[in-house]
Amino acid sequence: VLRMTRMSTVLSIFVLFLHTTFGESGCTSVDGDGTFGDDEPDNFDINCFSQLEFKDSYSSLTCNFMEPPPDNTNYTLALCNKEDSNYVCFNMEKREDAYFLQFTDILSNKDICMDSETKRRVCRSLVVTDMVKPEVPFNVNVTYQKEANEYLIHYSTPHSWKKYLQDKLIHQIAYRQEEGTWKTIESPYLQVKLLGKNLENDASYEVKVRSQPNGDFFRGTWSEWSASKSFRTTREQNFMENYSNVVLVILSILGFMLSVVMIVLIGTFWENRIKPAVWPNLPDHKKTLEQLCKKPKNNFDISFNPENFGYVHIHKVDDIQAKTEQESFLQPSNAPETNLPEKFRSGSDLKMIPAMTDKSNPNLSVTYGGIWPNEALHKILGTSQTTVTEGNCGSSTYEVCHSIGVPLHDDGFNHSSTPSLGPSGQPGLEPVNGDTMPTGEMRSPNNEEAYVTMSSFYKVQ
Amino acid sequence: NPAFFRSIFWVVPLLLVLSPVNSSSCTMGNKTTEIRVKYENILSYDINELVNMSAEYRDRCCRKPRNSKVFFCNDTQEIESLQSMACNMLRFFHKQKISKDFRWKAALVSCGTLQVLQCKCERQKKEK
Repeated sequence: VLRMTRMSTVLSIFVLFLHTTFGESGCTSVDGDGTFGDDEPDNFDINCFSQLEFKDSYSSLTCNFMEPPPDNTNYTLALCNKEDSNYVCFNMEKREDAYFLQFTDILSNKDICMDSETKRRVCRSLVVTDMVKPEVPFNVNVTYQKEANEYLIHYSTPHSWKKYLQDKLIHQIAYRQEEGTWKTIESPYLQVKLLGKNLENDASYEVKVRSQPNGDFFRGTWSEWSASKSFRTTREQNFMENYSNVVLVILSILGFMLSVVMIVLIGTFWENRIKPAVWPNLPDHKKTLEQLCKKPKNNFDISFNPENFGYVHIHKVDDIQAKTEQESFLQPSNAPETNLPEKFRSGSDLKMIPAMTDKSNPNLSVTYGGIWPNEALHKILGTSQTTVTEGNCGSSTYEVCHSIGVPLHDDGFNHSSTPSLGPSGQPGLEPVNGDTMPTGEMRSPNNEEAYVTMSSFYKVQ
Repeated sequence: NPAFFRSIFWVVPLLLVLSPVNSSSCTMGNKTTEIRVKYENILSYDINELVNMSAEYRDRCCRKPRNSKVFFCNDTQEIESLQSMACNMLRFFHKQKISKDFRWKAALVSCGTLQVLQCKCERQKKEK
């Protein structure tokens, strides 16, 4: 029993030694630490690259052999993760000459293992974030900026709307003249400018773009080249041509603005200023006279329409005689309106003109040729009513007739004759503008007085 | 002979005691720089996506909180706190009431956190 116990002790120690040496189960490494650095050298020369977020949240790994494997040999590539005590491997899908696998975890350290029928599995460590190959840029466009004489090259990348490689790429722009040598420019931005002075005038150029991780965290290789874009440079521009173009543009703008201003001014001042100056309005006689004449304070009719003055007594005048009346003829006595010294000239019928008898101005003197009615005549003269009949010259009549200096019985003066008006056909009333007539003096009737009838009323103040 | 078996089988407990035991503690230790770099370049984007997806379920709280645990991020225990939170979030992977996309994203964040911190969970095999 003691011997058996000693054997078991030695055995357990040996097993413990082996367990410690091998570590996790499933490990076939000679080193015993899980790595394959000192493993059997192999033709395990493969080239791999990863593409992050190539489809939604999946990343991909693509590998191919640097040297084609010998024929009739089946090789299998697998991507392995070391999880806990397990070594989980996923076989890669063979696509033509490459092996492809998609996965989501890009943080863990992985191994790429090759299996073959003749050889045992050979693995190699692989860091997915150190072999990133970005996607190809697209939409390369060239825009010429005439003012600066520069060519703006702008492009797009699918990683602009993804999460890992956004703003973590560096782009390389290659351009060349037709069939010339390529020149490259690198930029972290999505556009670059080519100076026109560095390019040939009126020449054809070609440009293309590719991307690479900037190396801060993600490292990798260049992407494939984008589709080429061709453009042609402009001819050399003459300075004067540019200057003349600028001047022409400025003048056009100024002309347009000036025309707009003129249109606005014409539309604004057309009615008030321009039209009256170009087509002056002819003065209207009526309006002019209305403006000249002062409006009476009371409700006087301002009108030249004779129909408006129907209520006014019109004294018709037969003719106009010389001013030979006696000064004492007209005596204001009874009638209030007789304050006005009046002189009559002929035996025509007369009518009182109430409008004349303005009490506010008793100094009005009117000379007219008219026929006084008997009542008015007696009222003025203060005598009994006597009819001045035809050819009947009584004493009173004589006095009256004499007072007015009217020859009674000779030279054919006829009271009953129809009143013969003056040359104008209107009874002549001398216009008085606040001034009294010179006494004993009778102005000779003239044509001007014949016309001044209605307007004289306005001037009686 | 019964003593034979006793003499053999006592080795097993000895082996169990002496064999290296993989503890559940994280192995990242003080490699904070590496943790920060991986978080900034990879894990932070996934966490933001998970937060945006969580906003859709903001009003859908648990009606019967069972054994709800409060996770404190104590000083010098940040890694352990994150480990505990990630391991608990992995439990949602099998909850059918939650949308598949959300469960998948939550699992991705949990596994990414554990990977960055180099931590393990109990019964992690089943969860994964």
